[in-house]
Parts: sequence; structure tokens; C-alpha cells
Amino acid sequence: MSTLLQEIEAQIAGVKNTASKQNVGTVREIGDGVAKIEGLTDAMLNEMLDFGNGVTGLALNLEETEVGAIILGDYTSIREGQEVRTTGKLLQVPAGKGLLGRVVNSLGQPVDGKGPVKAETAYPVEKIAPGIIRRRSVSQPVQTGIMAIDAMIPIGRGQRELIIGDRSTGKTTIGVDTIINQARMNKAAEAAGDKEYRPLYSIYVAIGQKQSNIARVISVLEEAGAMPYTIIVAAAASDSATNQYLAPFAGAAMGEWFMDNGMDALIIFDDLSKHAVAYRQVSLVLKRPSGREAYPGDVFYLHSRLLERCARVSEKYGNGSLTGLPIIETQAGDVSAYIPTNVISITDGQIYLETDLFYQGVRPAISVGLSVSRVGSAAQIKAMKQVAGRLKGDLAQFRELAAFAQFGSDLDAKTQAQIERGKRIIEVFKQPQYNPIAVEVQVAILWTVQNGYMDDVAVEKVKDFQTKLTEYLTSRKADLMGRISKEKAISDALAGDLKSVVTEFKQTYKPA
Amino acid sequence: MKISKQARRDAKELFLSCLQNGLLDDEKVRQAVKQVLASKPRGYIAILSHFHRLVKLDIERRTARIESALPLSADLQASVQASLTGVYGPGLSTAFVQNPALIGGMRIKVGSDVYDGSVQARLAALQESF
Repeated sequence: MSTLLQEIEAQIAGVKNTASKQNVGTVREIGDGVAKIEGLTDAMLNEMLDFGNGVTGLALNLEETEVGAIILGDYTSIREGQEVRTTGKLLQVPAGKGLLGRVVNSLGQPVDGKGPVKAETAYPVEKIAPGIIRRRSVSQPVQTGIMAIDAMIPIGRGQRELIIGDRSTGKTTIGVDTIINQARMNKAAEAAGDKEYRPLYSIYVAIGQKQSNIARVISVLEEAGAMPYTIIVAAAASDSATNQYLAPFAGAAMGEWFMDNGMDALIIFDDLSKHAVAYRQVSLVLKRPSGREAYPGDVFYLHSRLLERCARVSEKYGNGSLTGLPIIETQAGDVSAYIPTNVISITDGQIYLETDLFYQGVRPAISVGLSVSRVGSAAQIKAMKQVAGRLKGDLAQFRELAAFAQFGSDLDAKTQAQIERGKRIIEVFKQPQYNPIAVEVQVAILWTVQNGYMDDVAVEKVKDFQTKLTEYLTSRKADLMGRISKEKAISDALAGDLKSVVTEFKQTYKPA
Repeated sequence: MKISKQARRDAKELFLSCLQNGLLDDEKVRQAVKQVLASKPRGYIAILSHFHRLVKLDIERRTARIESALPLSADLQASVQASLTGVYGPGLSTAFVQNPALIGGMRIKVGSDVYDGSVQARLAALQESF
């Protein structure tokens, strides 16, 4: 027995005496949040480096005799000659449902003062997107609650749809509206105990934005009760460029957790123009060669690898999805600039917002001609396809006729009717912010306008008519609305009921 | 000092020409420096300063710095040398240094590899774990 004890003791003593091998380097240069480190011969690309005192770095440039690293956090305490160690770990952020309702920074640390984040696991920030075998095509809709989008530029789960436009044209509002609508639908499904409904969780990534803007978005989401289904990743304008560069990747990692676990998530990158600028800054201080507009050569790959991570995976791999809504801010409506063209070519369509429309009072200021959704129509519910199938074409025709009609007033009755219908459709699509509309109401309203029930309502009264009709449908005809959302198609019987309900409403309708 | 790409390339070429069987030949290095100083090619100061850096890094890579709190016995020194040669191959020079700050144990640094079995490192690890 005593020999056994001695053996164990010897083994323990042996373990204690083992000196672990570490790979170290010394800081040769430090500035602008970027350090050049001599040594570190075993460093991997994107590996976390330990600078001591809780400061970490990320190895981005592996050169012949030195390593270029970006510092995550406070770099002012780092001195030349300081020792740096490799950690053998890639950068990770917490992931899981514990993050819902929280505001975190690019490293997943809470910034909302609500205590530590209870995360289930950690996910690597840089991850290869799901491959061809794991994917399936988009087939389920993301209801944004914005009628113009849901009807004409539908978005499906797993799609990447770019929101592009000049400053203050309502880009963020579309994202926030979508988040609010998802929260409403999730809540409604929970309340109804609908097991078939797949909740959609949202992630809002703010990159290089003013702190006040981020605070406003958070307060809007809180007021709408959407925060319990939302994660906010904030890298404000005052954060370092390195944190701004990492924020969308951290958000994507959090979204991937939902996708990998068979759930659906939506991620909004607000915005990728500022992300490209932050990456340009990091690249220039790392002395990487610069290309067009001083952006580094891999700025396309930066966004393509990020957006490729938004996907719909097949049932064999969990049937989850991550829908991406990247936002790009253009300068004076120039969509042919470097970063906008890059992101347009990566995404599955774009929603183009125009300043002119915005000031004409068409809000959301969606330019129907320039906006497309390449895959979303496959995900649209049948009822919506039935009522909105021809809308885009009708509106295009209307614009052409309206331009032609300016030259003279002698128009035949058919053309006149088309113009009048077009005017009413445009009115119907106007929608106040943070006020998403349920899909069954959208279907009923569009059915009404497409079947000519609004033709005798004056254009300026269309909005009033629509509001009152919505009120009537949701309060008095809730069963009909329930049938539309359940059947998801307009059968002859349903069309008959809709006809009688709208006729009944019109008899009582008095314009305000 | 700004070192141009051409100077870097020249210094690298100079450095490679000083290698013999993959190891740096001290005599060749001395000769190379003398010749460069004599012929003074364009940007020779930059070439030499980069060459100096390359030589410094190579020496660091091939030098084992063994720190211990107390002086090591000759036997122990020999065994450490032998095992390091086993890992890093021949041509490794060793330097034994006394460092009381380690408190106990040994710290061996070869290039950017560090084997730290000192009491100081363990205390630091313990401190970080809190």
C-alpha cells in the first residue's frame, strides 16, 4: 500500500514541477491601438494575445520577424519592451439566449449596467460560413410589418437584404420596425400557445454611431417591448476602430448560435459604410497596402465573409436561419461608389431609400424601381402573392403614365383609371415609423385597393379610409383576420367575405 | 530611421550569404560588415542597421538564457544544456544568469519560447486566477 502512495506522490510531484512552454514576444512599437511585436514565432492568425493586466490583442499581421496586433480595450497602459504571450485561443464572444435583452460591446461584455451576461457558450468571432451542403433555399418569410416591403420587396429567413440610402432617409427605422414587428409576432404566438410558429430573435449591431442614436434606438425598442427578443451590440463612434471593426463579426457569432441551434435570428448591421472606414483605419495603421479610396485590398472579402454567414441551413442541420439586413449610407445618392457596389453585389437584393421621396412625404421613402428582392418572393405567403403579385408592375406603369400625363390632359378613361389607382396605392404604402402592420391586415388593405374599393375615395382621404378600415377589421372582424393568417391564402369564400365586410364598412364610412 | 524595401532586401541577401549549413558564421558576418563599410553602397547605413537586426534576432533564436534564483551546479548546468540541445539541435549557445526575483526554480528562454518553472511565475498565475 505504501508503495502505491509513494507512486501517487511521485506522480503529483512530477506534475507540479512541469514547466509549461509559452511563446512570448516583446512590444517593439505601440500606437493608434496597434502594436508591433517582435518574437511570437508560434502566433496564429486571429489568435488572442495576452498583454498582461487583462489587456488582450488580436494578431492580424504575421510578418517575417514581427507580428502586427490590434489591441482590444485600453492600449494606453502598454509600454515598449513589454512581454506579450500567445494564448492558443481564437477570439470568442459569449452566445446564447442569456444575451437577449442586453446591450453588449464587441467583446460581448455588458455595457447596460445590468450585471454579468449569463451566456450558455462562447462562439468564435471569425467563422467560416455554412457550406453548400448545409444550406437550403429561402422559404419562410420575415414579416417586416412595412407594407411596401412585405408586398413588393419581400424578405425571407436566411436572406441578406441591403438597406441603402442617404443620411436621414429612414434606414435605421426600417431595421427597428422589423425588430418591433418580430417582437410583436413572437409575443402573440407565445400568448396563443402556437407551437408551429418559429420565433425570430433580433440582433442590432451599431457600428460607429453616435451614442445618442444608439440610446434612442434602445429606448424605442424598450417602449415597444421588443428588448426581451433583441441583443444590441454597440461599438459607438467613441470606441476604438478595432472594436468597430469587430462588432459585426461578434454580432454574427451571436446570431450563428441561434442558427446552429435550430432557431431563427435576424441581424441588422448599422452600418457597413462606417465598418469599412474603421477597417481602413486599422489596415492603414497596420501598414497594409491600400487600394482604391485607401481601402485595403480585402475590403470586399471583409463584407462577403461577414454576409455569407447569414444563411438558411437544411433540416438535417437544424433548420435554423440567420437573416441579414446590412445598412449602407450613400453620399448624395451615389450607389456606384466603392463600398455600396461591393455590398450590393454580395447581398440578395436591396431596398433603396430616396431623399426626394422622403421630403415629398412618401415615408418609408422606398424607391420601388431600384429596390429588388432576388429570393424573397419564394418566401411570401400565398395571400400576399395573390394581392401584391402585380403591384410592382402596376406602379412602374403608373409612374410612366404619370410622367406622360404631365404633357396633356386628354387621356382615355383606362389610362386615367390606372393613374388614379397608382396614386391610391402610393398613399396606402405611406406608413408612420415604429408602427408595423400585421400581415393579415396588409393583405386585406391591398385586396381592398386592388379590387377598386378605394377608387371612389379622394386621394387625400385614402389614409383616413385605411386607418378606419384597419380599426374596423381588427376590432370587429378579428375572426376574418384570423382566418387570413391561418389559411394564408385568399380562397373564393374568403374573397366573398372580404367583399361583404368592405362593402359593409363603406356604407358606414364618413371621411373625417 | 526609415529603412527602404531595397535596403531590407539587400540586408536579407547579406544575411543569407553569411550562413553556413544553416548556421550564422561569425567570421563571415564580420567580413560582410567590413566590406559594406569599405565599399559604401547606396543606403549602406540602412542596410547595416537592418542586417544588425536580423543578426540580433538570429542570435536570440540560437541563445538559451537560463535564469535561476541561485547559481546552478555544474552537473545541473550540463544536464540543462544537454536537454536543450536535444530539443533545439546543435549550435545553441547558453547563458546562465542569476535572478533572485524568481524566488525559486528556473526560467529558460530560447528565442520566443519560454519554459517558466519559477516560483514567481506560479505566484503570478495564482494571482491571475483570482
